[in-house]
Amino acid sequence: MKNAGPEMQVDIGGLIIKNPVLTASGTFGYGSEYVPYLDITRLGAIIAKGVSLEPRAGNKPPRIMETPCGMLNAIGLENPGVHAFIKEKLPFLRQFSVPVIANVFGETIDDFKRVTELLSESKGVDGLEINISCPNVKKGGIIFGSDPDMAHAVTREVKRLTDLPVIIKLTPNVTDICLIAETVEEGGADAVSLINTLTGMSVDIERRIPHLANVTGGLSGPAVKPIALRMVWQVAKRVKIPVIGIGGIMNASDALEFLIVGARAVQIGTANFINPSATTDIIDGIEDYLKRHNIDDINDLIGTFDEEGNAC
Amino acid sequence: MNGKIVKNQQISAGHFLLRVTLAESFKTPMPGQFVMMRDPGRIDPLLGRPFGVYGFERSQEEVTVEILYKVVGKGTLVLSRLRESDFVEVLGPYGRAFDTYPEAGKVVFICGGIGVAPITYLAQHYRSLAAARDVELICYYGASKAENLVGIEKLKRICSRVFTSTDDGSHGFQGLITERFSADISSYAAGSSKIYACGPRSMLKELSELVAGNSVFCQILMEERMACGIGACLGCTVLLKDGGGRGEHARVCMEGPVFNIGDIHWG
Repeated sequence: MKNAGPEMQVDIGGLIIKNPVLTASGTFGYGSEYVPYLDITRLGAIIAKGVSLEPRAGNKPPRIMETPCGMLNAIGLENPGVHAFIKEKLPFLRQFSVPVIANVFGETIDDFKRVTELLSESKGVDGLEINISCPNVKKGGIIFGSDPDMAHAVTREVKRLTDLPVIIKLTPNVTDICLIAETVEEGGADAVSLINTLTGMSVDIERRIPHLANVTGGLSGPAVKPIALRMVWQVAKRVKIPVIGIGGIMNASDALEFLIVGARAVQIGTANFINPSATTDIIDGIEDYLKRHNIDDINDLIGTFDEEGNAC
Repeated sequence: MNGKIVKNQQISAGHFLLRVTLAESFKTPMPGQFVMMRDPGRIDPLLGRPFGVYGFERSQEEVTVEILYKVVGKGTLVLSRLRESDFVEVLGPYGRAFDTYPEAGKVVFICGGIGVAPITYLAQHYRSLAAARDVELICYYGASKAENLVGIEKLKRICSRVFTSTDDGSHGFQGLITERFSADISSYAAGSSKIYACGPRSMLKELSELVAGNSVFCQILMEERMACGIGACLGCTVLLKDGGGRGEHARVCMEGPVFNIGDIHWG
């Protein structure tokens, strides 16, 4: 029997999820860390911490620094590698009957291809999110996601190798994020997610040294939300594929802003660090909002933003 | 969960004693474990701050946690401005606790500055163990000046001997606490003595050199900036020596904050 609540199910590029709230990669580990703090089975989907072909030790500490209303991180994509992910992390993630989306990154197009193949063969994941915010070591370190041709190439090659829904995660550190979004849509992406972190830095003035060992890091948290929201709004108008909104979402109100401007789903990141049950609190808050506004289906809310609403 | 502040008192310049009552479901922290605290509802500062537990009491109706802290930045400044009856968010207890040995002969505590807080909780734990009645508790406590030797009276009540050092010589030995400790180090036999330390990284590094080559048990409590406190963000790592058994990086919040001193790669 179905609960008498509003319909929360959404379709993100062929992946049907029971509600639009997902965990952002890198903020939810591989799930186990959060088991004591929330009912994981309630999540729309879990996006696991990013995996690469080979294990990576990550950056030297210090790796994080708090900044006004946000934080910088330079973890360095520490992960055990795709083989260990499939063998050791995936079985745990599978037990919750929640779709598992693997987050993939690489330093060459071949890396992306190999990890995609391995994950697709594993039969344990329900979708792929491709992190193109990393440098292409074969192209002088240019960020894949900042070059339309490279972003297109990664998308096309990954799509060619898998039947899983492919979400391309976009970097905001570009001149025109809409251009990149359109390019990956042409390349066959099933959805886009944005924004990844904004590159920033912070200086210890007493010692005149960077606060992060890596010097620069990715800014996240409420500080980035207005920028993320603007980008999601713009991209949602430009592409036909679903857009997943990410960036500083701390509560249901923040999530609703993203849904209203056109995001089909949202990812919760930094909020998990402050409130381990942020995701389920947000699911509850969205449901309450839908009831309060007599909306029976969340899809009737998505993209209903009235741009002219405040014009005299 | 949210706790209610019953006391947030300045006990010395920049040093505060915070006492918070919590629901009885809050687990009793083991010595060395920490809690994450923040002013609820704020987004600046955004993240919780980790504090080693200084005191803890459980009665029929409620539990009380005590934190001894020094104002060092925005997070602790905001905390210091909270008043009696204000709410504060307390998550935890988190992290790996100290290993304790009730059968030890001598237990030696070495603390620098605000590192005294979790060490005091550990010392109190030793004193409360019936099986550890015969253990001799000895403390070495260093600070910049006499007034910064916060909580020293409590330590004197718990330990049979407390040696102090200050940078300016205003209390005890003039110099570093590791220098004061090194004068006595030969009296702590590897088999029967256990050493615990918490303080600035420089102090812990110095101590690692003093005990290197000696097989004496020595555990230290490390501090790092943290975001989540529960092992997810990988932000609080310290480097371990190869062969530490946990890979090159270890999370202070999960594999720590207590480490065997010999496992740390000091760089």
